Parts: sequence; C-alpha cells; structure tokens
Amino acid sequence: MGKKGFGQSEPPTWKAKKFMRAFMQRVAENQTQANQFFLSNQAQLDESLLEALPLVFAAFTADKLPEERENIAQLFLTFGNLIQQFPLGDRRLNLELAITAYQLALQVYTRQAFPEQWAMMQNNLGNAYGDRICGERAENLELAIAAYQLALQVYTCEAFPEDWAMTQNNLSNAYLYRIRGERTKNLELAIAACQLALQVYTCEAFPEDWAMTQNNLGNAYLYRIRGERAENLELAIAAYQLALQVYTREAFPEKWAGTQNNLGTAYCDRIMGEQTDNLEQAILTYKQAAQVFTRKAFPEKWAKSQGNLAEALIKRASLTDNATDLDTAISLLQQALDIPVTGSSDFIDSQYQFGNALSRRYEHSQNPNDLQQALQAYKIALDAISPEHYDRKQIWQALPTTQSILGSRLVREGRWQEGLQLLLNSVNQLSTGGDPLAHANALFQTGRAHEFLSDWDNARLYYRDALRLYEHLKDQLGIAKSRAGLGGVLVSQGYLEKGMAELAKAVEGYYQLQKPDQAAEVDHLYQAAQRAVERQTTEAYV
Amino acid sequence: MTTADDIFDQSFSNIQRLGLREIPFTESPIDLRSETLQRIFTGRQNELRQVFNLFQSRERRRILVYGRLGIGKSAFLLEVLSVLRRKRPKMLTTYISLPVNLDLATTALIALAREMADDDWAQQQLYQMGIPTEKILRERSSEISANMGLGAKAGEKDLPITKPQYPTVSLDTLLERAQAKYPDGVLIAIDDLDKQNPSVVRQLMHDAQGMLKGRAWFLLTGHPMGMTGDLLTSERGLFDLQLKLEELDLLTTYQMLINYLSSARIDNDCTDPRDPRSVLPFLPETAEEFCQASLGKPRLFNRLGNTILVTAADLEAERITPEVLAQGLKAAAPTLRQQAALNVQEERVRALLQQRRSLSDDTMTIADLEQLGFRSFNEVLPILERLEEADLAHQLNQDDAKVFAPIPLPSADDELLPEENI
Repeated sequence: MGKKGFGQSEPPTWKAKKFMRAFMQRVAENQTQANQFFLSNQAQLDESLLEALPLVFAAFTADKLPEERENIAQLFLTFGNLIQQFPLGDRRLNLELAITAYQLALQVYTRQAFPEQWAMMQNNLGNAYGDRICGERAENLELAIAAYQLALQVYTCEAFPEDWAMTQNNLSNAYLYRIRGERTKNLELAIAACQLALQVYTCEAFPEDWAMTQNNLGNAYLYRIRGERAENLELAIAAYQLALQVYTREAFPEKWAGTQNNLGTAYCDRIMGEQTDNLEQAILTYKQAAQVFTRKAFPEKWAKSQGNLAEALIKRASLTDNATDLDTAISLLQQALDIPVTGSSDFIDSQYQFGNALSRRYEHSQNPNDLQQALQAYKIALDAISPEHYDRKQIWQALPTTQSILGSRLVREGRWQEGLQLLLNSVNQLSTGGDPLAHANALFQTGRAHEFLSDWDNARLYYRDALRLYEHLKDQLGIAKSRAGLGGVLVSQGYLEKGMAELAKAVEGYYQLQKPDQAAEVDHLYQAAQRAVERQTTEAYV
Repeated sequence: MTTADDIFDQSFSNIQRLGLREIPFTESPIDLRSETLQRIFTGRQNELRQVFNLFQSRERRRILVYGRLGIGKSAFLLEVLSVLRRKRPKMLTTYISLPVNLDLATTALIALAREMADDDWAQQQLYQMGIPTEKILRERSSEISANMGLGAKAGEKDLPITKPQYPTVSLDTLLERAQAKYPDGVLIAIDDLDKQNPSVVRQLMHDAQGMLKGRAWFLLTGHPMGMTGDLLTSERGLFDLQLKLEELDLLTTYQMLINYLSSARIDNDCTDPRDPRSVLPFLPETAEEFCQASLGKPRLFNRLGNTILVTAADLEAERITPEVLAQGLKAAAPTLRQQAALNVQEERVRALLQQRRSLSDDTMTIADLEQLGFRSFNEVLPILERLEEADLAHQLNQDDAKVFAPIPLPSADDELLPEENI
C-alpha cells in the first residue's frame, strides 16, 4: 500500500480501482457471495466510488484489446446487477452505482456488436431507473420505459420469447406507476403488457413468472380507471388469487405475503358483495400478510401492511361507529411511524395517514389532543416535503386540502389566528395547483372562517371567489353552499335584498340537489331576512 | 455653460416665480414640524370634537381611527397629539409607527420609554432591546419645537429588536413610573396598524386586550377592512370610539389648499377663500379643478399638488393657469406610475382596470381572472391595494363589494382635460 504525498488523503480513483479489482477477484456472478463482499466493504460504497467509476472504467479500458475491454464491460455489468440487488446499505447510492456501471458497460456493449447483452442491460437499466430514488420520479419512469422499449427492439417475441415476456412484465410495472401522460391510458398499457407477457409465461412452463405477472396484472386492475370499477376490482381479486396458487406461504413466503397485501387492498375497496364482509376479508388478509412481514424481518413492508390494516379498520369504524377500530388503527399507525426513512415518500404518507386518522377520531371524540396531534403529523409531513421530493406534487395537492379543513376547524375551536393561517396557506398553495375543486373548497372554508369571525368583508370576498370557481366547475353543491354563505353575510351586513336574492337561489339549488334539510335551513334565514325587511317598511311608515 | 450651482439657483427662482418659498406638499405628515402641521391641518372638526370630548373625562379611553390608505389617519393622529401637548402639559403623549413583527405591548413600551429620557429604567429597557437612546435625549431637550420627537419613521421598522420577555409587565411598570410624573395620564398613539395584514392585526389586538384595558390611553390607526365589523372590536367593546375618516368634501379640500399654500407663500398670508389671492399661484378655477382631481384624499392631494407645482416651475410659469394645470395633471399619471415602479403582474392589473373602468369582487369573471393568471379575486386584491397605495387606483365607497376604479387623470398622450369625478 503506497501512499503518495504527505498527509494527503488517497485520491478517490485509487481507492475505487482497488475496490473494483477486489470485486473482480472475489466475486463470481453469485448474489450471496456479492452480498457478503458488499457487506464487508460497506465503507467503500460511497459517493466517491460513484464519482470515480467513470474514471476507473476509462483507466481500465484505455489502450486495451477488444477482448480485454469486453472483460471490463462484463465486470461493470456484473457489478451493476449485483449492487442493484444488494438489499442493505444506502439504496439510493446502490441504484446510482448500478446505473453508472450499466452506462459505462454500454460503451463497450454496443447494440451493433453485442445486441443481446445490450438488450439485457437496457432491461436492467430500466429496472434501476424504475426504482431510482435520486432525481424526479416522473422523469426516471420515462427513462425506464424508454430503456424497456429499447430492449424490446432486440428481445422480440420470436427470437427471445422469455426475455421478451420478462421485459413486457417490467414495462407493465413502469406504466403502472407512470406519472406523465394520461393515467387512464397508462393503466391500459400496463394491462396490455401483462397480457402479452402471459402469452409466454404460462402457468405450466413458468409458474413463478406467471404468478408474478398475475400479481402485476391484479395491481393494474386495482387502479384501472376505464371500465366499471366494480368489475375491475373483481378482475384484480381473480388475478391475485391465481398468483396465490403458485405463491404459497411455504414455498414463497415473502411473495405470498406481498400478494396477500394486494388482495387485502382489493377487498378493502371492493364494491360487489357486502361491504362489511369485504372489510372483514380485507382485515383477515392483511393480518395474514403481517405474519410474514414482521417488524424485525421486513421493517418497511411491515410498516406498510400496518398502514393498510389501519386503513381497513378506519373504514370499518366509519361503517359501524366502532371507536375501538379507530383506536386500534391509530395505535398501528403510531407504532409504524418510526420505520420509514425521514423525508421519504413513505414517511410523508404515514404521517399524513396518521394525521387523517387522528382528525377523524377528533370528529367523534372532540378531544383537542387528537386535533393537536393531527396538526403535528400534518406539519411533519409538510415540513418533510422538499422540492426534490419525487412525489411532492401529489402529496402537495392532498395536504392543502387537509390544511383547509383543519384550518376551518381550528377557527371554530377559537384558535383562529392559527386556523386562518392554515386556511390562507392552503388557498395560496391550491391557487397554483391543478385541482381547482380543492381550491374552491378551500376558498369556501376560508369564507366560512371569516364569517365565523364576523369579518364580513372578507367572508363576502371569499364566498364570492368560491362561488365564481364553483360556477366555472359547474359544481352545483358548491354553488348552493357559497350562495347560502354569501347571502347570509350580505343579510348580516344589512344588504337584505341582495342577500335574500342569493339565499333564494341557494334554497332552489339545494332542492334541486334533493337536499331538503339544507334548503330548509337556508330558507329559515331567508324568512328572517324577509321579516326584517317588513319591519323596516313598517317603521318607515310609522 | 451652466454650472450645477446655476441650475440650483434657477430651480429656486422657478419656485419663487410662483410666489412660494418651497413646495408645501408632502407625502407623509410625519415629516412635518408641529407648527407646520398646525397651519395646514384642515377640517375633521367633527372627528376632532368626538376625540376631544373623550379627553374631558378622567376615565382612560381607547380610540381607533380607521379609513382608507392616504385618507389622512397619521395626520389626524399627529394633530390630536399636537393639540394635547399644548393643552395638557401634564399628560405624556407618545407616538410610534407599528414596527413589523412586533407585538403591541413591546411597541407601546418602546414608544413610552423613548419619551422618558430622564428615567434610567426606561432607558435601560430601550438599551436592552438594542434601541439607541442618545437621540431621544437630544429631542427631549427642545421639546416644544421638536418635530413631535418621533425620530425617523422608516428606519425604525428595520431595527432588529430583542423583545422583552414580559412586555406587558414591563410596560405596566413603566406606566406606573410615568404616571407619577404626569398626573393627567399617558397617551400612547400607535400608527400604521393598517400597513400590516388585517389578520395579523387582529391577532395583535387579541393578544393586547389586557394591555389596552390597562393604565394608558390608546390611540390607534387601523385598516378599513376587517377591523370594524370584527368580533373583538365591536362585540367585546375594545374601543370606546371607532372613528372613520372619510374623503374630505370639496370645500374643505379647497380650504386645505389655501392653508398649504399660505404656509409657503412669500409676502401673502391671505386665507380667506373669498379672496382670490388666497389660492395663489393657483387661480380660483384651477384651484377648484385641482381639488376635484384629488378626490378629497389628502395623500393624492399632496402627490398631485407636488407634480403640478414642479411642472409649473419647469414651465417657468407665474400662475397656474388652466393650461399649466392641464400640463401638470397630464404629468401626474406617468409620475405616479414611475414612482410606483410596478412589476409586470401589477401593470397587467392596472391595464385591465384602466380598460374596464372598474373591477370588483362581485362582477369580475373567471375569464378576467384567468387573463391575469389568477383564479380568485383575493389574489388580485393585494395588487389592487398596491395600486391604491400608489394612487393609481382608488376604492369606491361601496360596502357590499370591493370596487376599485382608476384615479381619473388625463392620460399622457391625449389632450383631454380631467374627466368628471365620480
């Protein structure tokens, strides 16, 4: 071990070269061996290795004969494959290392010279992009789809049926999670790709791959937008049940549990059959999955399945008004809170879910602690969303909506400064988002909060804003309630006739929506205003 | 070749040609010396009477003065203070502009401590907050003629202040000490509450209820919206008097012009409105036209007046004839726009307002909003208020909607005289 210079740290390429040579010597193409190697050299798996890889590759391949260059490319390819599947360490970094290694190997494995290796690497690259944590998720999924499509140019059904089926299956997964493009269409593409894969992956010939693809097909049906939702959920359940014929608990415990989890979700959402039965089934199925996904062995999957179970319990609680279910759900969610990596999308989801569960319990309990904790959870979720977060958009839109509900609640609680701040934040955030209905709702809630505070000017302003947007969206209920709010404020301010005109329209709107209770309530206000007008007239004559 | 000195002299003689020592118009009453304010403050008799009636009682009172931007709230406050200083020497009066991010108790504490230069404990409080104390000593030494002893208004807002831990308690202690010296009590005037977000102000008020009901008199200026109909102010009776300042009528505006001009005119202090000399260098007709154009809004009056006199001086005019006035008013719109330094968004709103002649939350369509890149009126409102602040728009007195209209001024590229006022 020679060290150059005085007190200088070793140059990164030097360490990286050493690491890659050791990898070459000790590891064959065996994942177990590789995992051991990575585990004992975990300190070497860092940013500097990632930075050095291209330099190392250039140094190794410079002025080399084609066969030697091929060997180096093979080394990088193997390294990419193995590090991609290494389950420990920093997953983000492992995926970056894999992507870099593949891209370097592709300099040698060109499409013309090595079509098969090239296609395989495109497929693997697709997988790595699909799981990638760095960068924007939407963009990464596009890269994954592009890579799979390149692979399929070589992997044709005729020439490489098995590889073709594998890539189709992978492609279907990418379409399932795709963010860009029309979601409806993406899900159809996912289904189509699964069905193509199943032409080769038959139950007899490739039982395991068949089961995997059935599971994926089930997922695509679970989220499908086209067709009848009830029917799609039946198709999803059927596909999961097929998968479970191969994925038995004994032979494939992890996969069995995974599919059980998916099946549970399908039952939880199921429309056909009795809802209570479906929820029972969902809860049972989730509980089975939890027998394999223990906290110790699969912390992340355990946390997710806790969340799923909690969701089902919350649903059941809303059906039966059973307080115990809600309590259980909250404690399940609470137990799992510390599992996801802080700031990850799972972390944000779990905080958000926790906040929702608590604010739901608050509706029953009216316990300010629940509200306080919910607010806390939402705040944690909000704080964790950074601009680099890859699911930011989706969550960002869901959160302001909750903020506005929570905000109006706080206002009613008397914590109006805090509540109003939340409402105004949410209005502000939703004003630029792609969800005008949520924006309109937040405007309405803000109007109501101001009305509650007897700030008539602002109440009127926000009700008018909500009304305008609801009208634009042709949301009849929204129109009726904003008119009711606006009318009430105008009456309170003494603009009786102007207010009554709005109230009358609101009454009519509520009747058309077959909401006689609300109509009667608003009509009551109208009558009161009417009496006030009559009183004024009489007084004028007296 | 003209030297800079020559230009200065020329500029001075241009003003002198108009018979004036200086241009009397100013945007902010805070810059005025007490005796100048006394000369130019006009009207508001009813409002002053209401306020002074309260001061005939020993009972401590809380007064809220509210009204639109540029309506003269600060001037009103300063006038009240200046009268009290003359008439109630045994009452300590203090004035402060509400700094950003500061609670009312700390603000009041600062205001009071600054006026108590001889009180070591008060000075120590200021010192602990990082507020220089020297200046106050100097100002106190020339109490009567000092410009209200207020210090620089703008700079004060930027001071990083270490808030005291228990401002209400500190304030109470200080008030106790002050009352020992001033048997007629202590008045704390806090200005510019309307420069902050109404919801922040509401919270400030809420937090300061204990203080407001405590030992001192309070005189506050506030936002026209969201304070008057407020739960706290109306239902809990936080204020003994809520005084709304409205636009001045034409006669009062005319008298105000007379007062301003006579405060700066050379060799002529005629203030009789029936005497045409009272409005020189204006002619009675141009004086009236100018008053009409200023819509009874003191700040707009000052801004327009300034532009008109500058234009007249540039034209080397001796009198403000209809032609000179037309030139001056024509210069006003571009000057106001230039001073406002609007961004693209604000400019778009201004252009739409100009085109439509009025914008309101009641009548604006979603298409209008989308044209501006918005979905709701509440996003446009701050921009319209910004235009109002810059006197490029004004809010009409309609209480069931927020209606904004452009300030009717002739545009720079046509030759029309100002349109009739609304």
